[in-house]
Formats: sequence, structure tokens, C-alpha cells
Amino acid sequence: MASIGHIVARTPSGEVLSRAQQRAMLVPDCLVEARRIANTVISGWHGRRKRGIGENFWQFRPYSEGESLSRIDWRRSAKDDHTYVRDREWEAAHTIWLWADLSPSMMYKSTLGAVSKESRALVLMLALAEILARSGERIGCPGVMEPVSARNAAERLATAIMLSPLAEGLPETGMIRGASDLVLIGDFLDPADEVMERLGPLARRGLHGHVVEIADPAEEVFPYAGRTEFTDPETGEKLTAGRAEILREDYQRAYRARRDSLGESLRHLGWTFIPHRTDRPASEALVAVHMYLSGMPTRATHGGLR
Amino acid sequence: MIGGLSFAFANPAILAALIALPVIWWLLRMTPPRPAAEVFPPLRILASVMKREETPSKSPWWLTLLRMLMATAVILAIADPVFNPRSNTLATSGPLALMIDNSWATAPDWERRVEAASALIDDAEAKDLAVSIVFTGERQHDATPGSAGTARNRLAAAGPEPLPADRRSAIAALQAAFKDAPPGTIAFITDSIEAPDGKTMAALAAIRAGGLRVIEADGSEAVALTDTSNESSGMSVTATRLKTDDRRTLSVVAYDTRGRAIANGAIDFTPGAATAKGTIEAPFELRNDFARIGIDGLSTAGATHLLDDGFRRRRVALLSGEARDLSQPLLSPLYYINRALVPYADLVEPRETDLAVAIPELLEQRPSVLIMADIGRLPEETYPVLAKWIDNGGTLIRFAGPRLAAAPADDPLVPVTLRQGERALGGALSWSEPQPLADYPANSPFAGMPRPTDILVKRQVLAEPTADLAERTWANLADGTPLVTTATRGAGRIILFHVSAEATWSNLPISGHFVEMLRRSVQLSRSGGIASEGKAVKAQTLPPYRLLNAHGLLVAETGNARPLNVAPGKEPLATPDNPPGLYGSEDGFTALNVLPRNAELKRMDMVAAGPHVAERLAGAESWSLKPALMTLALLLLLADAVIVLFMSGVFSRVKRASATAATLLLLVLAGAALLPSPPALADDTRPDDARILERLDTTHLAYVVTGEEDVDRLSENGLKGLTDFLTYRTTLEPGAPVGLDIAKDELSFYPIIYWPISASAPMPNPQAVSRIDAYMRAGGTVLFDTRDQFSSLGASSGGTSPNAERLQAILANLDIPPLEPVPADHVLTKAFYLLTNFPGRYAGSPLWIEATFDNREEPSNRPARSGDGVTPIMITGNDFAGAWAVDANGAALLPTVPPDEMQREYAYRSGVNIMMYMLTGNYKADQVHVPALLERLGQ
Repeated sequence: MASIGHIVARTPSGEVLSRAQQRAMLVPDCLVEARRIANTVISGWHGRRKRGIGENFWQFRPYSEGESLSRIDWRRSAKDDHTYVRDREWEAAHTIWLWADLSPSMMYKSTLGAVSKESRALVLMLALAEILARSGERIGCPGVMEPVSARNAAERLATAIMLSPLAEGLPETGMIRGASDLVLIGDFLDPADEVMERLGPLARRGLHGHVVEIADPAEEVFPYAGRTEFTDPETGEKLTAGRAEILREDYQRAYRARRDSLGESLRHLGWTFIPHRTDRPASEALVAVHMYLSGMPTRATHGGLR
Repeated sequence: MIGGLSFAFANPAILAALIALPVIWWLLRMTPPRPAAEVFPPLRILASVMKREETPSKSPWWLTLLRMLMATAVILAIADPVFNPRSNTLATSGPLALMIDNSWATAPDWERRVEAASALIDDAEAKDLAVSIVFTGERQHDATPGSAGTARNRLAAAGPEPLPADRRSAIAALQAAFKDAPPGTIAFITDSIEAPDGKTMAALAAIRAGGLRVIEADGSEAVALTDTSNESSGMSVTATRLKTDDRRTLSVVAYDTRGRAIANGAIDFTPGAATAKGTIEAPFELRNDFARIGIDGLSTAGATHLLDDGFRRRRVALLSGEARDLSQPLLSPLYYINRALVPYADLVEPRETDLAVAIPELLEQRPSVLIMADIGRLPEETYPVLAKWIDNGGTLIRFAGPRLAAAPADDPLVPVTLRQGERALGGALSWSEPQPLADYPANSPFAGMPRPTDILVKRQVLAEPTADLAERTWANLADGTPLVTTATRGAGRIILFHVSAEATWSNLPISGHFVEMLRRSVQLSRSGGIASEGKAVKAQTLPPYRLLNAHGLLVAETGNARPLNVAPGKEPLATPDNPPGLYGSEDGFTALNVLPRNAELKRMDMVAAGPHVAERLAGAESWSLKPALMTLALLLLLADAVIVLFMSGVFSRVKRASATAATLLLLVLAGAALLPSPPALADDTRPDDARILERLDTTHLAYVVTGEEDVDRLSENGLKGLTDFLTYRTTLEPGAPVGLDIAKDELSFYPIIYWPISASAPMPNPQAVSRIDAYMRAGGTVLFDTRDQFSSLGASSGGTSPNAERLQAILANLDIPPLEPVPADHVLTKAFYLLTNFPGRYAGSPLWIEATFDNREEPSNRPARSGDGVTPIMITGNDFAGAWAVDANGAALLPTVPPDEMQREYAYRSGVNIMMYMLTGNYKADQVHVPALLERLGQ
């Protein structure tokens, strides 16, 4: 009997990128929720036209009483009798960190799924990058790429991933500074407690996260029967089930319980949780993430059972 | 047959099934069926769901191996391997000729040889062939072909002989029998030892049989002891063996005349060596007791080496020219000789100082050696006696001294002609220095000893130089003058030490070399009694005394062995007429061993046999390996079942369920083991134990309850009176007297039982009397008192009294020794008081005790008679109890007859003496020597 699941080779970045751009074309420009990011999103790369914290000069304005003396621009004030304060243009762009889990378990593709989990995860990540870049957001990848705000951010991200493959497991968060959004794409098959142990500190640092759980349909429905030897692609551990079909009920129950508990815990952090199955179109997950990022919670298009 | 192993399969076709083993292996490895391999990332979730680990997909390799072994065992078992399969391959062209070695080397495996031979006879019978059978150890051979039954009978009658195989006559008999028609097959069951002529196989091949079959064992048991010799530290034993290719260590044991092992040693054969030497370390005194050397674990005649009395201690007579002076022993020449020889020889010394008497008296005791220290002239009449004794084999060792130096030169009993006077070295008027010894000459028995450096000779007697002086010299001084010279006279020898036997002429007598020289000289002498009369024996004929059987045991049965002719200088050989053993008599014998001295066992040369079939001597029984293999397979199956159960965790589950209970049980057990438990004792107390212990605590006087009240009361009162007297007068403090029912009560607690005889009392039944008999036999004493002195036991009275008749009736059933009245020197008269008679109420009756006969007729000045033990019986008629009886106030109950209080006193004293005699035995007899002992100690 041919086996249901396979370990597939890594998807080339270029292919993923083209697919991601196709997906991204279907999705309108991402307008990240204004409420959360204050005025930043609407500014984007087309300018905020407003004084604020930034690096570029915006205007000189007269000093008003009560302002800190240190803000006075003495060079300008010296030109006439008024005292001026230098204002700068507000340049704080919103940063969105994208990260995909590329551990061996992600290389899995079953006959029921359309593509491998890794492939789907990359497509999602790059499509998100494309959309967000189009919207002028700063796109970063923890451990791989510093946030950039560029029109070709998706291409740059693909290149960066090609050059320095993503670390396995959960992301290296040392690069992440300040309040930003984090999109984590992976299968999150580790026990929910371990996952939360890693994510909890991030949430406490003010990061806002969106977790996309990619699952192969075979992992969810457990279509195995008969004597089966299961191998863990990460640890190589082997487990032989005499009659796999009798395990199905129990397994599905345990699997859903894990997903539910993970989702529940993430919602407690204020994060969002999007389960996605590889037999569904990638757009579903993309749209869901897009909605969340845009501050429009949706329940309709969860790429799976729920 | 497969190779040299007699091993074959009954159904070799089944072995083809072994090809299936790899298939079985593959099948075993494949089950359980190979699972569908699936990659499954959420394995941890699955693992949390699955109840338990499945059995691993592959069984462990050792389990597979076990099962493979099981399969192999079953296949081999069905193939039915058989050891020693037999096939009948006799040629039918002529009769079967069997030549069987029944020499000494065949004794260990004789049964197997008989089996091999009888299998061949069976084969011949199956093919209807005549059988001719000859045994090489027998005297006569009958090689005529006969029926198989006859051959079987002759085979059953034959046995191993303690002799080397004599094949020449056997082959000659075969040649004669098959002169016309050669035999179909000659089967030669051999011990593989080549005969001295070395032509056995060639001669066999010359018979031109249809086939020659040689059946031999591996020869590892053919080991023989060929020689022994006495060396300084032990006895050296030489052994030879047939199978030379391996290293072998044999343990040799020396046995004494009674067959007890008294010493042992080891012989190491290096690979390839046919002979080896070993040493049995034993002190010289012990070596004298060696009668036989054997190899441990090999009971053949060849592995036994008999020793004769050449190894015995010599009897040495000592004679000195001067009267013995005990007060200055160090100046006496015999002192040093005595000290040197005492460990090695039996020394006899003359009782008389008169040499004319002393020499014949010494020679009467048949010494091997006579040592004369500084005797110049002997009485004229002793010369012929001494010369005759030396001719008969005696050894005379003489030491020089002032008397010898002054003796006339024509002394016939010196080995060399001596110059008159002695030679002094290193005196005030001499230039010469005291001389040390030179190296011992090679022909000397002292050769091999190191040259003594610390011996200086200051004075010696000198030999006249003669042509043969050098070869008669055993030891020289450094300047070449002989120190020890010798000469043979007839069968005997004279040895002269040219120095004196005490330390005045040299310091030789106080050195260790003196001991060794004397020991070697004495060892050279002939053992056994050498008489001074009769004529010298040149060649003697000795009757067989004890013969060696094939298993190396000495048996008294001599069969048809003929007397052995022993000629000097010729070593007798063991032949069927003179089988090995001891020849002579108990007083002196010569040992004849199976193999001549320094013989070597050689394997037969099979090349000379031409074409032949060589076979191993295997047990004739063929036996199958099938049951063993089946058992092995079954055991493996059981082991497999247990292993499978273990692997499936049956025991672990059981263990877990009962773990708590087991722990609890263990704790309880450990606690119980740690607690000091009282030793469990069997309850063997008897109802009257307390009474017995009370009886044993103190000595009690006892009397026999006759059943008549007045007699019993009198006995009790009497013994009570004696008890009081004993308590008052002696250290013996007996308990209250005990009345005994001899039919029931235990008697053995009492040293003496007083038995008043009353004719009117009921006669004791036979069981009671036999108990009394057993009591007396076990060391007790019964004092019979007939109380009728008036009609006493003495012969004076006309008739016997009723009490005496009753006593006779009782004694008729007892095993009593001869009796006598107490003799005047008996211990009884001296045990405590000095007594002459033993009165009771009456004074007339003697006290009869067991008669002692020793030393009766010899005049003895000892005041008391010695003798072991005490008399088991005493008989009196004096009514002791009547005299001893006291009432509660201590007053005497009955008057003595005649009324004399001294007589009562003596009656008590008699009782005391009897009790002392009972309790101390003949110790008191020895006490009479105390004054003499004290006197001797005082000096």
C-alpha cells in the first residue's frame, strides 16, 4: 500500500514567490487596522503630512509657553526676534514580522493535501509580504531580515529566506523591538503548553500576534488502517500500531483538543488563531489573516473546520 | 563413516532440510508482518493516545538464533546421527584370524577390546567364517580355526596379563595354522607397543591374509614406571609412555607394604618425550617404607613399580675397641657413628665387651653392616667367622685409630696393606700442613657430593702403594693419600676410613659429610639377613611370593609361576613363567617388574604392515544422538516459551500486582530473620529424668531388692552405715543408698551393686539376670553376699547352704570369669586400708574375686599386682550388710560373730577398700610405686 503521507523536498523560493504573488493579486491592499496602529497605516509610504516623531524636517513653529526649552531650535531663532521650535515629520511606520516554521514536520504532504505544509506556509508568508508591502508596511522576518519598507519587500524576503533558511521551531525574537504585529505560520504540533511558553513572553512585550496553523488533512482525519508503523520526521521516533483504525476516534479527539486549547490560550493573549488545511485554497488563510490585520474579525472563512 | 570419527547419519537425506534454515530464519525475522511505514508528524499526539508499545517489529537476534537452533536440533534428530555405526566388512575368502594383545597395557580398556573382538566374531559368524584366535600374553597358542562359539569362549576366558606382549610365538602359531590356506582377514587388536625385535607387523604381513585390520587404542594409558633410584632429597622415578605428542603430568604415589599411600610426586612429560623423570620427595626414613610406586589413576601392572628390600633400612652392628665410657661420650668413636646412622639404620651393639663373644653374638643378629671403630686385633677365633660373613655379603666398615695403627700389617680384614704407625700432619715436628680432602673420584659412591672444604685431616694411617690402589680408593686427601679405601671379598666388601671415628684425628666425624659418606656406604651394603654360616650364594632360586596382577595389585595367588633364578649381574625379565611380582619369602624378596630397567615404550611401525585398515578401538555399542537432540529441542522450546512470556510482560504484570504483597512479605520475613528466635529444641524429657539426674549427681551405693522385707531393710541400713563411714573417713561422700529392682531399674549409674542372697526370696527371672550380666560386662561390679558363713562357700563345710545353692542357680545363667579368693598382693588389700581379710558379721568366708593369671609364676618383688580393670564380681558369705547396718541413731543393729567391735571396724574398712577399688581401679596398684618413684626423682 502506498503510504499516505510523504516528506517532500523544500519548495524553491522563486516558485513560492510567484505563487504568492498570484495569491496576493487576488487580495486587495491591506489596510491595517487604523485603530491599533494609530495613524501610521494610512501614512504608509505615501507620507503622513503631519508633525510628529521622525527624522525628517517638517516645520518650524513658534515656541509656545510651557514647552521644554530643549526643543527650541536656536539656529533658526537667532535669525529674528521670535523663538522657533523645529518640528519633524512623523515617520513611525508599522512593522509586521512574518515568520514561517520550516521544521522537517512541515515538509509533510499527504495524498489528501494539495501541497506540503511548508509550501503552503511559504506561500502564505510571501503573499502576506506582498500585500503588506503594497500597503507600505515595513516587513520583517525575525532572525532573517530586518524590517524594510519597500515595494519589492516580498522579493527581498524570498531572497533572504533562500540565503539564510528560517530557523526551525519558534522564531528568534531578539530582533523584534517595539509594538509590532507578528504573523506566525506553522503546524504547532508541539504540546500547547510548550508553544504558549514561547509565545507568552512575546505577548507581554506588546507584540500582537496572528498564528496560522497549517495542517495536512491526513493529520486531522487520520485515514490510516491496519498495521502501521508511524515515524516522527523530526525525531525519527517510531511507533507501530497494530490496528490503526481503532485509534482514529481517540486520535481525532486528542488532535482537536490540542488545537482548541492552543487557540483558546492564544485568544487569551489577545492573539488570533487561524487553523488552515492544505487541501483548502491558500487564499482562505490569506484573507483571514488580512481580515485580522485589518481589524475585521471574521469567522466565515476559516480555512477549515473552524 | 566420517573421517576418523565413528559417526554417521541413519537418514542423511533429511539433512537436506538444513537448506531450509535460511528460509526459516527469514520467516522468523518477518513475523509479525511488516507494518505499513508512515511518516506522521503529530506522532506525540498519537503516542499519547496509544495504550502501550506494540511488540517490536523484529524479534531480537538471539531469540531468532534460539529458534534456529531448535530447528537445527529437530532436523539433526530426525536425521538420526549414530556414533560407532558398524558395518560387516570381513573378507569371505578365508577364516578370520584374531590376534589380541592381552599385555599389561590393555588392562584399562580390556572390556572395550573384548567388545571389539566379539563384534568381529559376530561378523564372522554372520558370514559363516571360521575363527582363529590367539592371545599374545599367553604361554601357549592354539591358532586352529574353530567355530565362533569356541572363539567366544576363549575370548571370555582370556584377560589382561601383567606381561609385555609376546607376539613372536603368537604369529608363529598363526603362520603354522594358516600355512596352506591364508586367512581372509587378520584382525589385530593391539596395544600398539612395539616388541623388542620390532618385526611384528612385517611378520603379520608375511602371512598374506586377504586383509589386515589393525585395531588400536590411542595408547594414552600405556604408561610404565621403569626405574627408581634413591637420591638425596627423594626417590627418583623414571617413566615411559607410548603416546608422546602431548604434555602430560602424572602423579606418582608411593605405597607402603599395607597399600597405604605415604608419599607422592609428579612426573612431567614434555611433548614428544617418551621418557621422563620425577621425584617423590620424602625423608629417608619414610622412603624405607616404600613397597610399591604407582601412577595415580592408572591401574596397570606397568604403571606399578615394585620395590624390594634393597630399599630397606640396614641393620648395622657397632663394635668399638674400647670399653664404653658413658661419662665422656664425645671421646667415644661410636658416638659419632651412632649419631650419624640412627636416622637411616637399625643399630645393634654388643652386650658383652669380650670381642670373642660379642662378634658371634652380633653376627647372630644378621646385620648388613658391621662397623668396627679402632680395633686393631680381633680374637683369633673370630677371623674365620667374620671372613665368612663378609664372603656371604656382609659389609665391614672400619675406622682407624691408635690401635689399628699399632696392629700388625697382616690383618686380613683391611682392604689395603697398611703401613705400620700413623702419619701425623701439621704437628710440632712436621713440615706438613693438615690436609683437606680432594675431589671424590668418579668411581666412588661419594661422587656427586661437593668437595668438602672445611675438613682437615691431621692424622691418618697410610696405605702401601699398590697398582690398584687408585681404583680401590673412594676418597683422597688433597696430597693424594687415600682417605677411604675399599675391597670386595666374595659377595661382601670391606671399607676402611683411614682416620679415626672421633674428632681427634680429623674433624671429619663432626661434619655433615661424615653422615652422608656413612649413609652411602651403608646403602651399598646388601640388605636382608646375612648369615655368617652356610656357603655364599652365587645364583639363587626364589619361589614366587606375591605376584602382580594385570591391574597392578599384589596377590598371594601364584598360579603356575615358576621360581625365579636370580643370578648376580643379570636382571631377570618378566615372562609367562616368571610373571612380575615379588619372589622370595616374607623375610626377604626380590622384585621383578614388568618392564626391564630403563625400557622405553615405542609405537609399532605400521609401515611394515603394508596395506592394512587401521581402526580406532571404539566401544562396540553404537548409540544414537536422536534422544539427546530431541531433548535439546524440547528444552529450547520451553526456554523460548518462557522468553516470549517474559517479553510480553506477563511476569511484570503479575509482579506489579503482587509487588505490594511481596514487599510486605519480605519485610515480615526480614524482621523475623533479624529477631533472635529461641532455638527450637526437641522435647525429649522423660518422666523420671529428674530422678536419673539426681542419681548421677552423686555416687550412690545400691543394693538389690530381694522382695523380703527384713533382708531389704538390713541391706539399706547396712549401706547407710557404710555410706556414713565413707563420708566420715574418706573424701568419697555417697548419697543415700538406693534399692534396685534389677528387672526394671537402670543399673549403669552405680559402681557396685550389693546383692544379698536369700534362698527364700523369689528367684530373679532370666531377663533380670541377663540385665545383671550386661551390667557386669559393661564394667559394673556385683557383690554377692550369701550371709551364711557358717555353712560357707569354703570346702570345709559338708554341704552347701540354701543361699549358696540359690547363688549357684543365679550364677548358672551369668557369664562369670574364673574366681579366686583375694590374693595377698591384690589391690583390694591396699586400696585404702591395709587389710588381710574381709570380715563382715562373720569373719570366716573369703572374698572371691575374678582370678588374675598374669605373672603368677614369675617371681615378683612388687608389692601389688597390676592388672587392668576391676573384677566384675565379688562373692562373700560374711554378711557385710549385717555388720555395716546402723539404726537412725548410728548404733549398730546386729552384733558381730564373734562379738568383737574391731571386727565391725574391719568390716567397715573392707567396705571402704571395696569402694575405693571400685572407683579407682588399678590406680591404687600403681600408687604403691610412689616411694620408688620419689626416690628416683630425688636422684
